[in-house]
Amino acid sequence: MPGERRNLRSSKETSSSTNGEEPRANSQSSSSTKDKPVPTRATSLKGKTLSAKKSAGKEGAEDKPHTNGTEPVENGINGTEDVDMVDDGPEKVKIGTNKEGEDEMTVVVPPPKSSKLSGQPNKDEEGDIAMENTDKSDSVSSNIDPKAKAVADIKANFILLERAVAQFDARFTLRVLRSISSIRKHLSPDLLAQVITQTYPSTSFVAKTLLAALGEENASFESLDVSSEMDIDTQAREKSQTTGKPTTAPRDVLPEVDTYLSILVQIHLYDTKATEFGAKFSSNLVERLRTLNRRTLDALSARVYYYYSLFFEQLAPLPPSPMASVVSIRPHLLAALRTSVLRKDQDTRATVTTLLLRNYLSTSHITQADLLISHSEFPAAASNNQIARYLYYLGRIRAIQLSYTEAHEHLIGATRKSPATPSAGGFYQAASKLLVVVELLMGDIPDRAIFRQPSLEHAMEPYLSLVQAVRVGKIEGFLNVVHTHNALFRRDGTYTLILRLRQNVIKTGIRMMSLSYAKISLRDICMKLDLESEQSAEYIVAKAIRDGVIEASIDHEHGFMKSKELGDVYATREPGEAFHDRIRACLGLHDESVKAMRYPMNQHRLELKNAQEARERERELAKDIVEGEMDDDDASGDFEGM
Amino acid sequence: MSTTELNTTLTQLQSSPPPSPQKIASLLSTAKRQLLTLNALLPTPSTSPQLLGLARATLETGALLSIRLQDPDAFTRYFQQLLPFYELPPSSFKPAGGGQRSKVTGLYLLLLLTKGDYAGFHTVLEGLEVEMGGSTGAGLEEDKFIGYPVKLERWLMEGSYDRVWGATKREGVPGEEFGVFSEVLIGTIRSEIASCSEKAYPSLPIANAKNLLFLESEGGVVEFAQGRGWVVQDGRIYFPLQQGDGVRSEKEILVASGQVIENTIGYARELETIV
Repeated sequence: MPGERRNLRSSKETSSSTNGEEPRANSQSSSSTKDKPVPTRATSLKGKTLSAKKSAGKEGAEDKPHTNGTEPVENGINGTEDVDMVDDGPEKVKIGTNKEGEDEMTVVVPPPKSSKLSGQPNKDEEGDIAMENTDKSDSVSSNIDPKAKAVADIKANFILLERAVAQFDARFTLRVLRSISSIRKHLSPDLLAQVITQTYPSTSFVAKTLLAALGEENASFESLDVSSEMDIDTQAREKSQTTGKPTTAPRDVLPEVDTYLSILVQIHLYDTKATEFGAKFSSNLVERLRTLNRRTLDALSARVYYYYSLFFEQLAPLPPSPMASVVSIRPHLLAALRTSVLRKDQDTRATVTTLLLRNYLSTSHITQADLLISHSEFPAAASNNQIARYLYYLGRIRAIQLSYTEAHEHLIGATRKSPATPSAGGFYQAASKLLVVVELLMGDIPDRAIFRQPSLEHAMEPYLSLVQAVRVGKIEGFLNVVHTHNALFRRDGTYTLILRLRQNVIKTGIRMMSLSYAKISLRDICMKLDLESEQSAEYIVAKAIRDGVIEASIDHEHGFMKSKELGDVYATREPGEAFHDRIRACLGLHDESVKAMRYPMNQHRLELKNAQEARERERELAKDIVEGEMDDDDASGDFEGM
Repeated sequence: MSTTELNTTLTQLQSSPPPSPQKIASLLSTAKRQLLTLNALLPTPSTSPQLLGLARATLETGALLSIRLQDPDAFTRYFQQLLPFYELPPSSFKPAGGGQRSKVTGLYLLLLLTKGDYAGFHTVLEGLEVEMGGSTGAGLEEDKFIGYPVKLERWLMEGSYDRVWGATKREGVPGEEFGVFSEVLIGTIRSEIASCSEKAYPSLPIANAKNLLFLESEGGVVEFAQGRGWVVQDGRIYFPLQQGDGVRSEKEILVASGQVIENTIGYARELETIV
């Protein structure tokens, strides 16, 4: 009995000491990750390498608390561990003092360790709060109108970007990109100019190009800007000195910040419909981006390419004609694709692939698009939206190439993965339209529920009447629908696919007849299907039998079709196959959700360390047990004595 | 090197009593060589409109002649070379206009159709549809040359073989070059009908089979039937039964059970990885 209890307790100790080790390992690993980006950064910066390195180092040190601040989950874990340790320590010491001396030794060791360790995070937290306070006071002071708030938001994003660079974590960049939509409403040339002048030193080349891009629209503003640039700059510096915020100290601005501001300028130009100028600006921007090789830029440059291609899509000779200006950016996009593959740049790679596909399809260069797909591999780690886009284009290409089963699979994926926000409704509608047509081509009748969804109801109306026409199997009704919605189908790019449905209408008609009549004359079939001649009807029925649409036979001399009796569906393999499909889908979902889980960086090292320690502890424990056998006797004696 | 030489070669090629096949081949190769020296085999922004028109005319002639010589590979090559020319707007050629684009494209579509390359057929068609629908809004069927393969494809797919048969007759064919494919098409539909008949009819009188298969005589029917392994008896054709039903179902069960076992083992493995 007592021996057991002791073992229990010692196991408790071990658990506490593991806790004690964890934060230390954590801090080590985090410092190691922190170290990594510094050299890459230093090498990529032109000139001022020394000062840059210094500032980077400084920044890294300062940024450390931010990790804790911005990752509440990790912080929480650390915090609770600390608390646990504090609680555990004294308790054990108490017990230890009550009980054996040997245990006391082992128990006493952890508390100083934990206190040392817990002290560090605490300090960090304080630092974090302090930093956040300065941030807040900044934003609060300028929180007067939405414009000033937008400025503050943009600046706050700079900090996030810097953090992303320092910690080599793409999540911060993604967060910055996500905030674009809220900032977008408030963008204006003078707002952007204000941000630019406050961020860059007046000599900066980037700032000048950005201002020029904005100034084209507002020439008077540019001159004003240039004259007041110095003032603002010095003011900003003064401000930074007063607030004691070291981030605005004069130093080189990160390329990430450059790119971020350029994206904002792009968006602004796009929103103000300055297409031609935007295209020029984007071309220059893309040129500059190609010279930079920084992994922290990936997500940003992907966005740059997106707007780049968007601008060119709206330039004068519009897509359907083969002379469209989108054709001219293909070499650039292909080059970007090549570079991104070489650099293992997943974001740009995914974006550029979808852009190229869109580009090819817009001028209906389907063969090229197909070749691109077969020669390139779409990154599996791409963002959800890019995967949805890719699947949609893939489905479209496969549908044109008559591989409907494949197209169906891709389009199902596209509709399921399409974002649920109303702003992405257009994509969902387009994908659903194509899906309905492909389902019809496969000989299935789409579910009525698809057309009832509020986001689709209106857009899918012509397709609903199309489905109804096909379902009934009347050629005349089908042609009517196609005729009335001709223009719309053409605009949706489903017209040729719909024309192919003609044979499906006939097949459905024959199937209906074969189901309802045991025996029917070819003349009746001919009349019911509006066919031209009895001979045609005979060939068509024969083909339907050969294709397995119906189970029947034809009596040529008497001119009738005789249906065979249908067997029981449940005696076939069909239910089993449907079941198998569903199980596979569930398993796929499970796999994907496992893959989608995120693990903190370097966790495996921690685990390795833990495992090693556990092994060591086990050995110690084994030794203890061997040695402790005598103690056991002692202890039991003691216990009995009590 | 001037364009006059090329012009003379071209007129020689286009002369009304067509030259002998050997002559055509040598003339075509000289024409291509001349194009190459003029640097006009591929259109560049700097190529003059006259030269573009000439180059296109040369390639088109080459394409049409290779169809007449029944050389589909050469035709496909010419078509691929013509594609960049067709992507230019009609105004950039000196004798402005689309040239013989629809004729050549229609022939290419027909070639794809006879080869059974439906995916390729629809891919080309989709491109044409988007391009033409954008500019004119009129359907492709209005075009005499392109409408022909489009209609043929539709009839083939729905099974109206009698209409295909009607279209391959002399008056239904839109151009001389298109007639080259008629023979191939008839062969295609005949084998299609034969495979349909095997499934659809238990037996068929020879006289009716003659009509169905568009054959000239009953002797031809018997020959065709023997070629496909049908049994001819008492003036009727008996189609071989698809393997005895009992045997087939047994085989199917074997396949099915194998499938079921495989699936179940798969589930077990997946479950194991999850647990």
